[in-house]
Amino acid sequence: MPLTEVSETAVLAVPVARVWEVIDATDRYAEWVVGVLEVTDHHGAATVGRTYSERNRTVGPLTTRSTWTVERIDPPRRRVDTGTGFAPMHDMTNVFELEPVQVDGGEGTRFTYTVRYRPGLGPVGRLIDRLQRPGLRRSFQASMRNLEDLIVAEGPAETA
Amino acid sequence: MSVSRAADVVVVGAGLAGLTAADALVTAGRDVVVLEARDRVGGRLVNHDLGDGLVAEAGGQFVGPTQNQVLGLAAELGVATFPTYAAGDSVYVHGGRARRFGGDIPPDPLALPGLGLAMARMNRLARTIPLEEPWTARHARRWDGTTFATWLRRVTAGTGGLDLVDVFLGSAYGATAAEASLLFSLHYIAGMGDEHTPGTIDRGIAVAGGAQELRFHGGSQLLAVRLARRLDGRVVLGAPVRAVEQDGRSVTVRSDAGAWTARHVVLAVPPVLAARVSWSPRLPPQQEALFGRLAFGALAKCEAVYDEPFWRADGLNGQGVFRAGSTVCSMFDNSPPGDGPGVLMGFLGGRQWRAWAGRPARHRRGAVLRAFAQVAGRRALRPREYFEQDWTAEPWTLGGPTAAAAPGVLTALGPWRDRPFGRVHFAGAEHADYWNGYMDGAVRSGRDTARAVLAAAD
Repeated sequence: MPLTEVSETAVLAVPVARVWEVIDATDRYAEWVVGVLEVTDHHGAATVGRTYSERNRTVGPLTTRSTWTVERIDPPRRRVDTGTGFAPMHDMTNVFELEPVQVDGGEGTRFTYTVRYRPGLGPVGRLIDRLQRPGLRRSFQASMRNLEDLIVAEGPAETA
Repeated sequence: MSVSRAADVVVVGAGLAGLTAADALVTAGRDVVVLEARDRVGGRLVNHDLGDGLVAEAGGQFVGPTQNQVLGLAAELGVATFPTYAAGDSVYVHGGRARRFGGDIPPDPLALPGLGLAMARMNRLARTIPLEEPWTARHARRWDGTTFATWLRRVTAGTGGLDLVDVFLGSAYGATAAEASLLFSLHYIAGMGDEHTPGTIDRGIAVAGGAQELRFHGGSQLLAVRLARRLDGRVVLGAPVRAVEQDGRSVTVRSDAGAWTARHVVLAVPPVLAARVSWSPRLPPQQEALFGRLAFGALAKCEAVYDEPFWRADGLNGQGVFRAGSTVCSMFDNSPPGDGPGVLMGFLGGRQWRAWAGRPARHRRGAVLRAFAQVAGRRALRPREYFEQDWTAEPWTLGGPTAAAAPGVLTALGPWRDRPFGRVHFAGAEHADYWNGYMDGAVRSGRDTARAVLAAAD
C-alpha cells in the first residue's frame, strides 16, 4: 500500500520563534490541533526519542488514543514525529515546517503541516482515505489558524 | 503586655456585611470599631481602575429584582444602578461551535426539554424548604445525602442539563453540582427571592428580570467605600485579627494593629477564616467543623479591555454561555456605562479554574481571549489591557463567590451556622438565607447580626 501524503500551508502573522515555542510544547496540542481532545501524557519541550500521548476525536463521538514519538528536531524550522493508534492507518508521520516571512511589514511564519501514512484495509481503506482527505486538509488549516489566534491572544512575550 | 482599646462592638471585616453591621450599630448609638485585614474596604467587592475615572468590577457586581436590601442601601448611599448590557444576541459555545441566540436559555435542543423540566422541579422542591431551617425539610436527610449532580442526572437525560447547570454554578458556587448537596442547592434556590416572592433558579440565572440585571455606577466597591466614609474614621485597615478571647463580661480581639476590648464582636469574615482565628475558649467543635467545611469555591474573573465595545455593532451583547470543555463558563459585557472602553469579563470557576489556574499566566490569557473571540469575534484577541482577579489567591477571602455545602454538612452542622458563640456573632453573605453569597445576602446578614447584637446588649 503506497504512502498517502496530506499537506497544507498557511501564512501566519506571528513570528517563527513564537510558533516554534508553542509547537515545541508537547503538552499544548489540545489547545490548537483540531481533533486532539486532550494530551494525556507529555514530556514538556519536545525531545528526540521521547513520547507524548493524546486522546483524539475520530468519527462522531468516537475517540482513539494515540502515542507520538519525537523523531527529529531542527529548531526553529522542522519537527518530525511518528505516531501510533490511528488504525487502520499505519506508519503515521507528522511534519511541521516553519519558514520566516514578512506579513504586513512584520514578522510572519509560513507553516507547512504535513501528515504521511499508509491506509489499511485494502481497497476499502483507499476509499475511506480518499473521502477523509478533504476533512484532514480543513482540519490542518483550522489548526494553523488556531495556532495563530493562540499566539496573538497570548500577546508579546513581555506580557507573560 | 499591650494596652487594649475599648469599644462597645468590634466588627471584624470591612466587607459589605461587616460595614453594614457597623453602620447599623453606629446608628443605634454604639461605639464601634471595624478591623480590616486588607489595606482596602469591600472584601469581595473590588473595582479595577480603567483610567479617566472609570472602573470595571473585579469582584461581586450584579444585582437584580428582590435584592431589596442591597438596592435600598445603594439608594441610601447615592449609588445609582444601570442595566447590564443585554441588547442583541448572546452566543452559545458547545463542542467548539458558536451559535447566536436570544434570551437567557441557550439553543441546545437535546438538553433543553430535560433542563426545563428539571428547573421547574427545582423550583417546586425549593418552595418546600423552610428557609431558616433547611435541615428540618421533610426530605432533608435524603436530599442532603445526595449531590445536586446525582439528582440532575436522575431527572434529566444525557449530560446537557447537568452541563448547563454547571455553567451557572461555575460562577455562582465556584464549583460544580457534584460538589454541593441537593439540600444546600434547593435552599440556595429558595433564597433567590424575598419575603414576598419565592426564589427560583430562573431568577438566579437571568439577566433581564434576574440576578444579573443591574450593575452599580462607579462599581460595587463604591458601596463599601461610602459606608466606610459614613463610619467616619471607625475603620482600621491593615489590622488582621489573630485571636479572639472572651469571658463572661467582655471580648478581646487581638490584631496586628493592636487589641480592642468590647462587649460584643461581629465576625464578618469567610467561615474558613473564622475557624482559623485563635479562639479562647475554643469555638464549639461543631461550629469549628462547620466553618472548616464551608470553604469558598474556586473563582477567578478574567477581563479584557478594548477601545470600544465593538461587539455591540455586530448585534452582540457580549454574553456567552460555554458548555463543558471551554476555558470560561460564562462571560458578560462588563463595560462601564457611557461611551468609554469596552470590557469583556469571563468567569473561570470550579472545573475551569482547576484546569487553568495552575497554568502559566500567558497560556491562560491566550485561552481566555480565544474563548472571548468565539463570542465577540477575532478582535477580542487583541485587548489593550487584560487583567485577572483570582479570588483563591486572596489570603483574606480564599476563594469565591460563596461556600456551597457538600452532602451531609447542612443536616449535621447547619444549625451552627449563625449561632453566636458567647459574645461573638457571625455575619457574611454565607450567613444569609436570602441571596446567600450575594451582595444582598451580605447586607441582610449585616443588618440581622446588628439587630441580634443590639438585642443581646447588656
